[in-house]
Amino acid sequence: MSVVTVQLGQCGNQVGHELFDVICSDALEDQRKGYSTASCERFFHQTAHGELVARAVLVDMEPKVINQTICRSAKSGRWRYGETSHFSQKQGCGNNWAHGFCVHGPRHRDVVEELVRREVERCDRLAGLMAMMSVAGGTGSGVGAYITRYLRDVYPKSFILNHLTWPYGTGEVIVQNYNSVLTLAHLYHHSDAILVHENDTVHRICSQLLNIKHISFTDVNRVIAHQLGSILQPALTTDSNGIYSRNPLGELVGSLACHPEYKLLSVSTIPQMPSSSIAYSTFSWPGLLKHLRQMLISNSKMEECIDWQVQLPSASERTRTLLGSSFNTSLANLLILRGKDVYSAETGSFEDPALYSSWLSPEEAFNVWKSPVIFNKYEKSATLVSNSKALLRPLDNMLGKAWNMFASRAYIHQYVKFGISEEDFLDSFTFLEQVISSYNQL
Amino acid sequence: MQQSKAAVSVEVKQVIASLCKMLSAVGLEEVPAPETFRRAKFGAGPEEDQFWKLLSNILQTAGIVSCEAQAQFGGEHCKLVAAGLWQTGYYADWMFIKEGGGGGGGEERRCSSRELLLALGWLIAEGTLEKLVSQRVKKLDRTLFTPMPVNSQFPTRPQIDSSSLRKLQWLVGSLRHQNRILLSMQEERTHLLHAVFLASLSYPESSFEQTSAVLKEDCVCMRGLCELLESYLNWKQVEKVFWTWMGSVLDCHLTDPVVVEKAPHTLRGSAKVCHHGNRGLEKMENMLQRLPTRQKGQGRYRAFAEDRGGAEALQAGSDTSSLPHLLPSLSTLHTFPQVYRARLQTIVLVKHSSRPTDGPCGGAETTDELPASQATQLLLQMEALLLQRRDTQRLANRMQMQEVVSRQEDLVLIPP
Repeated sequence: MSVVTVQLGQCGNQVGHELFDVICSDALEDQRKGYSTASCERFFHQTAHGELVARAVLVDMEPKVINQTICRSAKSGRWRYGETSHFSQKQGCGNNWAHGFCVHGPRHRDVVEELVRREVERCDRLAGLMAMMSVAGGTGSGVGAYITRYLRDVYPKSFILNHLTWPYGTGEVIVQNYNSVLTLAHLYHHSDAILVHENDTVHRICSQLLNIKHISFTDVNRVIAHQLGSILQPALTTDSNGIYSRNPLGELVGSLACHPEYKLLSVSTIPQMPSSSIAYSTFSWPGLLKHLRQMLISNSKMEECIDWQVQLPSASERTRTLLGSSFNTSLANLLILRGKDVYSAETGSFEDPALYSSWLSPEEAFNVWKSPVIFNKYEKSATLVSNSKALLRPLDNMLGKAWNMFASRAYIHQYVKFGISEEDFLDSFTFLEQVISSYNQL
Repeated sequence: MQQSKAAVSVEVKQVIASLCKMLSAVGLEEVPAPETFRRAKFGAGPEEDQFWKLLSNILQTAGIVSCEAQAQFGGEHCKLVAAGLWQTGYYADWMFIKEGGGGGGGEERRCSSRELLLALGWLIAEGTLEKLVSQRVKKLDRTLFTPMPVNSQFPTRPQIDSSSLRKLQWLVGSLRHQNRILLSMQEERTHLLHAVFLASLSYPESSFEQTSAVLKEDCVCMRGLCELLESYLNWKQVEKVFWTWMGSVLDCHLTDPVVVEKAPHTLRGSAKVCHHGNRGLEKMENMLQRLPTRQKGQGRYRAFAEDRGGAEALQAGSDTSSLPHLLPSLSTLHTFPQVYRARLQTIVLVKHSSRPTDGPCGGAETTDELPASQATQLLLQMEALLLQRRDTQRLANRMQMQEVVSRQEDLVLIPP
């Protein structure tokens, strides 16, 4: 069972590279054959000389990042990208979603599809496709949304997971909110689940938890890759009977995103610390899980700023105050535990019905995966993938800012000239408003 | 013209051959040869036994006739077949003659192989074939997943509120995902099977045989399965020809009824004449007793005939041959099942208008529609008539019984 990754745009390619790096080093480090075989089969194929080649397709409209990425992977000596599994053009999208979606996407559709098809045919069995992109720029978001739609048509039975990197709130690109709104609204129709990392959050993790002084994109991407890797590496699910799960994306989507209106997944991992401190730290499962649970209900993505005041609402409170409480209701949660003594970890605290919506019981809403293998040097590590209200606020902010710009018709002509009309904008706004209202009702 | 006819007959033969092939692939024993089918179309002959066996085989294998019933009937194919056909909703005259006839004169009441052929057609049209195929597939494909009965408790009256709706949407989504996971598992299984197959090819034959008896057994099953599915596919492609031919058999049956005890071709074109001689009256009494059930069977039979596009005048033909003395009022009874079903009525109207001289039924079909009030009246009349007949019959039966009893009383039993 293999996953084919499609890396789109600058961000997608860089995060993708870090992800493969983490997965490869983790898989090769471990001595247990079953784990590393499963991991390698999932993300790499082996050449006749025994080299590991990533099951990935690299797409960008500018050649620079792809060339860098390919070079760096080749230099690592442990794995590399396929020699012909990348596609780039000379001219980018200029941070214009419409340019990517309406021009570059359709124009290069067939080439990209051919590259993906080749990778898919190399798999004994395809577990699904993972598209990685940012939502702010033009290539990742515009071409990415188009390619996702197209892949959905070509592989109707496969699982498609989109990994999105949300931009800094303060702004990298003036039209990032437009691009984000359009991307999200389009992906929501075609993707099975949308896994989100916010740059702001990851940046804070880098500065506060990892104590990095001058934070580069590589640092940010490494954190994202660590969290993603801990989700995607082999694990034992409840019904896998001691064998590593064969269908990671299917199980992930099936346990978290069955409802068509709720597809946004957020991730939090614990512990995260500078690699120099890891050796001097000890963790206990009850402690880690207690923190993680409080992070979930108080909606904090970091151990450092957990609000311990937030409590589970009682039944009566729940009916009274639907909005405004700081309590973060979940629709579904997936807890992934990796490391020593994992079977002794007690996860009952996540099965409290008060954590979840009234219409889904904890048995359906909560799942645990476990793996006794130490992940990325952390003796014990817990990751929580949550389909909850956590992303409601950033999404609402993004939508609000985009709406304000749209109300004054700022930059709209840049989109109209490539074929995205004001109606398309309005459709996307309406759709995301619906998503927000659905999450609000949890 | 001659040539095309010959071509058609060759085609029919092939089609019947494919049917036979499938019947044997399904696991039935003693399937008649295609030629036997052709001869059966023309009535009496030595083919009957084969058809009796085939029909009883089908009915038993499909589970229409239970094992107990089988044991009860012993070796008598005829009774078993009649009972089985009756359960599938088939009606034909011969079934009742047998039943009513009792022990004596069995030879006289034999039915022609054409009738049995028609019965076979009915069974096929009824979907028995599909039942047999799926049964066989279940037996051959051991990896087939038989769904476990899930005892899910649903509220008797579904609640229509937003949270139930959301829950429902979630469950539907979950099902969809599981379906996809299952599909991909199936793909993987195919991959692995292929790998096993390739590996088995590379081994020398003898070691393969020794090491994997199970695999070999599986292989035989798989081959059987492939054969079965292929023959079913073939049959499905040419089925139409078979039904056209079956239509001609039915035509043949209606215009040219075979009477086993007499020479088969002497009655050509005499559908309206009672050819049962003195037995006509007795038969009519018999029929009257069974009238309510008979209507049901006939209704279905008619639908069957229409489905297959053959033999328009089924009703007229069979009625005139079997019930020549029915009163006009009774004949209207036969149009009643159609009154409730607009489709049937129009078809029947067309049918009759194309053959206006057929049978006593033709007279009743003078208007296009029957008003409800009139229909009620007619039905009431009919009821009165039937009740009257029932009473008469009861009386007659009672008299007969008394007579028998009185005769019994005269007997003196002498102990040995």
